[in-house]
Amino acid sequence: MSMPRNLPQSKEALLKSYRTRLKDDVKSMLENFEGIVKLAKGEHDTQLSRMTQCEQDTYEMHVRAANIVRAGESLMKLVSDIKQYLILNDFPSVNEAITQNSKLFRTKQSECDQKLMSLRDDMAADLYDLEEEYYSSINK
Amino acid sequence: MSFSSVNISVEAPIENQIQEITYDGTEIYQPPLSLSESLAKYAQKIDFSKTADTDIKKEPDLSEDAKSDSDSKDAFQSSLWPWDSVRNKLRDAFQEVCVLADVLAVAKEKRYMVLDPVQQETQETKPMVQIYARKIALTGAAKVLVTGAERLKSSQTELARNRTTPGFHIELLRLRQNWRLKKVSNTIIGDLSYRTAGSKYLQSGTFEVTKAEDDDKTNSPPSSPLPGSNPTPKTNSALRVQIPSELQGVAYIEVMCQKDQEDLCSINVNLLGSGPTASNTDMHWQQKLEAAQNVLFCKELFNQLAKEAVQLQAPIPHMVVGNQIMATVLPGIQLIIGLCHSANGEKKQEKPAPSKSDHDHVLEHSLHQLLREVHHKNTHHPFPHPATGPLGPSKKRMLAGPMAADRHELLEMTRTDTLLEQIVKQAQHFIMRMRTEYVLDTIAKEVKDPLICSHWNTLNSPTQSCVKINISTHGYDAVCRTPLVIHVGEKSLKCICRDGKVMNMSYEPQELRDLIFCHINQHQILAVQALARTMGWQALGNSNHLGTGPVELLGNASSCLLVSPTGDRIIAVKCEPNQTGIQAGIQVSVAHSPRTDFFPSRLVTERKWEHLGGQFRDVRLDKMEGRNFLHKMELLMASLTSNL
Repeated sequence: MSMPRNLPQSKEALLKSYRTRLKDDVKSMLENFEGIVKLAKGEHDTQLSRMTQCEQDTYEMHVRAANIVRAGESLMKLVSDIKQYLILNDFPSVNEAITQNSKLFRTKQSECDQKLMSLRDDMAADLYDLEEEYYSSINK
Repeated sequence: MSFSSVNISVEAPIENQIQEITYDGTEIYQPPLSLSESLAKYAQKIDFSKTADTDIKKEPDLSEDAKSDSDSKDAFQSSLWPWDSVRNKLRDAFQEVCVLADVLAVAKEKRYMVLDPVQQETQETKPMVQIYARKIALTGAAKVLVTGAERLKSSQTELARNRTTPGFHIELLRLRQNWRLKKVSNTIIGDLSYRTAGSKYLQSGTFEVTKAEDDDKTNSPPSSPLPGSNPTPKTNSALRVQIPSELQGVAYIEVMCQKDQEDLCSINVNLLGSGPTASNTDMHWQQKLEAAQNVLFCKELFNQLAKEAVQLQAPIPHMVVGNQIMATVLPGIQLIIGLCHSANGEKKQEKPAPSKSDHDHVLEHSLHQLLREVHHKNTHHPFPHPATGPLGPSKKRMLAGPMAADRHELLEMTRTDTLLEQIVKQAQHFIMRMRTEYVLDTIAKEVKDPLICSHWNTLNSPTQSCVKINISTHGYDAVCRTPLVIHVGEKSLKCICRDGKVMNMSYEPQELRDLIFCHINQHQILAVQALARTMGWQALGNSNHLGTGPVELLGNASSCLLVSPTGDRIIAVKCEPNQTGIQAGIQVSVAHSPRTDFFPSRLVTERKWEHLGGQFRDVRLDKMEGRNFLHKMELLMASLTSNL
């Protein structure tokens, strides 16, 4: 991640939080998966009765699986957050859009102006003829 | 043997506690506690500060109480109240703890009961069972994972399926490209005010961007297709914008020029539903934001105008009533500027009477233009200006030093027309133009003989226009034409006549009318003379302001005297600026000298005296052949010449 610009403190912190979120989620996925595998191996001796141990393992596996899912969804959220952040803070592209828009509107404006001008000229010429005709006709 | 096999049941007696037994043997029972009483009682008993082991010592005696209490509770177990389950659970737990405490207490005494460690039975569960259990556990975990993955996948396919309707982020990107957005904590806030474009209006135009929920996305009816600005014609978008309520709806500035209005305050502001009729929810955000921006702009414009109307010292003070500004443009004519803002709800009933008003779109447009100009000026200062400061002196001001401007000039520089003044000027010009048009047209209609042909100039400004008038006679345009140019200003007219004279007139249309009639007269006389010249006749003289004859309503009569090439015929033409009818004011008389037949009389004895000129005889022009006055005159002259 290369952020050469000197971003304000809050932005920096935000980006850092994104990074930590990413790492945390990935780590949590990995750890939980490892946990599940370890549980599946079942090489741990405890004082608990086997049945209890089984129940506990089942429960733990469920929780760990759910954790993995949560981490995945959290990653999705992170992606969406980063997208949002990028959209809202990508000033170069916004500037580009603005220039493009202004260019577009300028050309449109000049186009309209031109059309209006030619329309005006046509109308003026026609109006002159019509006025001439109207005022020299008998029926007014 | 494990403890679980020991069943200790604690039952509460069904009857209530006996409070008293009277001498005759009747028992008086304690009334069951009310809900609140028992709650209070239980609440008192909960002592959370105590740890479990310290509790144990006291527990036995408490347990009795608990038991007795539970009796009374049975009476309304069925009753449902908010704390019922909590109470029940607490009671159950309490009972168990009491029992445990009892057992422990008994065991500790070692007199009645001894706890022996139970020999753990050798594992009777087979390893296969364990493996099965583990398998089940793994399947459960896998199921959780699969459902989670399924959810992600389905959401992904949902996105892919709805490719036609772009996702939230695409929409957001598009929104960002067109509007100002920023993130404030968890919400995205946008700004639609014109502040970056130079507006100094205080009202904020913030709006909130939210993600559209799926349900209302599917429920929302398809909206109307977008205007050309946004090329994606989609029915619903994944993005919602929330606009403050005061900016919702449609607004526009209504500008009207009205003649004398008696009831000054009872003008109904009609909100014609010119805007899109769709309700706010199904409009696309682009339209919605544009509408809101327009509302904001109109509000700013009106606010500015109202402020100026109050501050300006006009001879007839401007009035601001509610959302209307009234300014007197010309005597008897008011300019009414109203702010029409229709929220969505009331739009339907406002429909009637939309076309009654003569809403002036041109003036409305000028108003918009004026405010935009102000905005532009606020951001665009003439160079050079300090890079740090938003203010810079105007170009004129910068020149004032080198040009050594005096105080008066400097003061003059600082004065700028306010928006209201400018729009009033434009309205004045508009009225003036209309009046001029009307006058010219009516005169052209009334007066058939000299043709009055007016040509409006194409190039004009909002406060200046120009009309060229040609007075000519049909068929004789080459002989004589009277051109006039009228500059229509804000409150006055300037007429440049044929001979270069400049006439300034006020806003009264009658003045123009009179002027045109005078010119018609002049034209007739001049045209006759010009015609005479081409026919070889001679103009003996003419006078534009004849002093003789009856007093005219308007100006003076003009006349001319023409003589035939041989000099024996004289035509006298008198033109009165009488405004009625065709050729009504024109008198033509003919004189012969000498008469073709001469009979000496006692008075005129010799023929030579006839050369002095004879009697004039009136020509009845209306009985003559000819299309118009000049034609008739031509025929007359021709006939008089040929008679020779």
